[in-house]
Amino acid sequence: MFTTGFKFFFGIGVGLVTAAMLYGYTSGGNWTGPVSLGWKEGVGEHIGYGILLLLGVVAMAIACTLVFFRDADPADQADYMGVDDIEPTQPVTGSFWPVVGAFGAATMAVGLVLNTAVFITGLVIVGVVAIEWMMDAWSDRATGDPEANRALRNRIMAPIEIPAAGAAAVAVVVLAASRILLNASKNGAVVVAGVLAVVILGIGFLAASDKKINRNLVAGLSVVLGVAILGGGVWATVDGEREFHEHEPHGEEDHADDGSTEDDHADDGSTEADHGEDEE
Amino acid sequence: MTMTDSPPATDTAPAASSPAVAGLYDALTTTDHKRIGRFWLRSGLLLLIGAVVLGVLLGIEGTDAESTDLFGGDNAYFQMWALYRIGLALLVAAPLLVGLATVVVPLQVGSTNIAFPRAALASVWGFILGAGITVVAVLAGGGFGAVDRVTVDERDAIALTLVGLGFVILSLLLASICLATTVVSLRVKGMTLMRAPLFAWSVLVTCSVWLLTLPVLLANLLIAYVDLHNGPGTFGGDASGSLAIYGQIAWVVEQPQVYAFAIPVLGILGSIVPVSAGVRAARHGLSVGLIGLFGLIAIGAWSQPYFQNDGAIPHDEKFVFIAFGLAALLPVLGSMGGAGDTLRRGGDSIVGLPPAHLLGALGGGILLLLGAGAGALRVIEPLELGGSTDQVEGIGTLAVSGVASLVLLSVIVAAVGGFWFWASKIGGHELPPMLGRLALLGLIGGAVLLGGGQVVSGFFDTVNHPLAPPTEDAADALAVVSLIGAILIGLGALGVVASIGKAMRAGATADDDPWGGHTLEWATVDGVFTEAPAPVMSESPLLDDADHEGEES
Repeated sequence: MFTTGFKFFFGIGVGLVTAAMLYGYTSGGNWTGPVSLGWKEGVGEHIGYGILLLLGVVAMAIACTLVFFRDADPADQADYMGVDDIEPTQPVTGSFWPVVGAFGAATMAVGLVLNTAVFITGLVIVGVVAIEWMMDAWSDRATGDPEANRALRNRIMAPIEIPAAGAAAVAVVVLAASRILLNASKNGAVVVAGVLAVVILGIGFLAASDKKINRNLVAGLSVVLGVAILGGGVWATVDGEREFHEHEPHGEEDHADDGSTEDDHADDGSTEADHGEDEE
Repeated sequence: MTMTDSPPATDTAPAASSPAVAGLYDALTTTDHKRIGRFWLRSGLLLLIGAVVLGVLLGIEGTDAESTDLFGGDNAYFQMWALYRIGLALLVAAPLLVGLATVVVPLQVGSTNIAFPRAALASVWGFILGAGITVVAVLAGGGFGAVDRVTVDERDAIALTLVGLGFVILSLLLASICLATTVVSLRVKGMTLMRAPLFAWSVLVTCSVWLLTLPVLLANLLIAYVDLHNGPGTFGGDASGSLAIYGQIAWVVEQPQVYAFAIPVLGILGSIVPVSAGVRAARHGLSVGLIGLFGLIAIGAWSQPYFQNDGAIPHDEKFVFIAFGLAALLPVLGSMGGAGDTLRRGGDSIVGLPPAHLLGALGGGILLLLGAGAGALRVIEPLELGGSTDQVEGIGTLAVSGVASLVLLSVIVAAVGGFWFWASKIGGHELPPMLGRLALLGLIGGAVLLGGGQVVSGFFDTVNHPLAPPTEDAADALAVVSLIGAILIGLGALGVVASIGKAMRAGATADDDPWGGHTLEWATVDGVFTEAPAPVMSESPLLDDADHEGEES
């Protein structure tokens, strides 16, 4: 039996496809062009023809989807499943995605005017939100049991979310740490890198060595470290990189094979004489 | 697992009121329509305060045509003038209406929540961010064009203004989808559209008109944006001068499109007056028809003087424009007549001073009537009130802004009346009645002076541009009248904010049905249905229940 939704959208689809054919013929298409989708001869004005045809096909696809899902009618659904009544869905649960999506779209808007990188960041956020929101909307209505819905959603999304979030976190930490190292003086960068490595190793050691350790403590330390690196990275980006100087050639023979091209003379107080001694 | 959707459980508690969800998390993730509505209302009130401050500053500047010192130059003066006009509609009136509707409409139609609550949450945050971007961009030197030509330095800020406003429009469209769907598909059994409460019906009509027309405004912004970046004339517009951008989008605050923001004024009037009078509404079906007619007349995206003034006949002398200008008066007059008839039949029930909500509803209706009346006068060509000099061609006289001010301020006044009426549903607190009356009197009186002053000044051929010199001596005096109006509006707006603050500090919980309401929202306890609403048999279901109980006893 064809549902009301199917009839509505299929009717629109047929109308649009017919309109596409007519438009094709009246805008200079050959006899076989519009009906063969341009495979045999021309379709006339191809942009309008393409748009109308595409809309028609989309409307028909929606019609087929609706008839498959019985117009989302609970009575039909119960009949199809052979049960007396369908368990009512629960009210929509709270979600961060609408707010994140709004911020993502705002980021896109600002980036559109000011900076391409900001625009792309917004685009990525909106893309992620679209997928997550879609999955939430689907899982909310999957069964009448919120717990089962959550488990269902996590079963599908966790294998994607956890690696993606991990990779994003690593990328952010690497980027932020690199900004800090580029901002710090030459010796300072060595110290920062060393301390960072020791702290990460320490947290890893704590997490791995004692099973009774408070997980919240490890999580808290990780968050503090993450925020410190991120904050430091932002500050370092705003502050800019330290000044790099090209080496003044002391003599072609002296520096021909040492490969050094940059150094920090401003911060570490080293002089040309020092360099000379170091090299010796 | 089910494959298809089924109706929401008759869960009387909104989802986000779960005790497990609290604080900031709750604010950012809520799907409760009342909280989302309150976000809209707070944003609208905050922007209202900003708008009235700007209105007073513009009023002061308007009284001194010789200089523009207050804003630091002609350019900044023009940008603030344009922001005030566009902002009053899209950044103040619209969020106040959407907020009120988001709280009240689901309850009126017997639903536990708004349709697509997550989309509704996204829309309010989108609006907040879009409004923020727009305002900051204007303050940073952007705006809707420049007085002479847009310089390279101004270009990014102007582009950001256009993008911010576009974001605001998208958010309003998303909210419109949620509200319209709520009225169309979440009505309780037996509630046909003819039996829907007038406010809910007016919101459906408003949202439909917005969905039809605001995308055109979005297209205008896109044209201006492309012209701004790729050189004037890429898409037919000219983004180089002051009227080039503002002129392209000004139709949204001119008749007939400006009426699209005022459709709910008739709905608020139709919801408040019968309850205040204690009788059923007179000719409910006719009111439904009049609101629908007003919606049809308010579809004004076709009326774009910037693109249509190049023909032999000026845009405002074309038959369709004149017909729409005159026709707009009819539904407003009809609705006011219906309200008057209802009040006459139930006159005994109003003793002493009228309550603040009735003052707001009637004040909004009267202001709308004045606005529509001025709009009708303006289009009657033999009167030559639409501007008789060549200077006003393509811009219009200040009467254009006067009509917009009256209409948009009618929305604000009616919305404030709505706050007082539905206070127990919005925040659960009773708002102070006397302070409410004073605030509303300030708003109504100020609106009459501000809008009326502009209309009369326009009839003296004062040009609708901040930097145009006054053509008559009377214009200076009328500018002072408008300034006094702007100050009164400011005091009224402060009174509204003070009332809300006072009610929240007092913390007294309002009765669930303090006025003896007729529609389903008054059957809720703390804004929640304790049991599924029974099938509706008329437009006043709670009166049906009362009549039924009376017959039984």
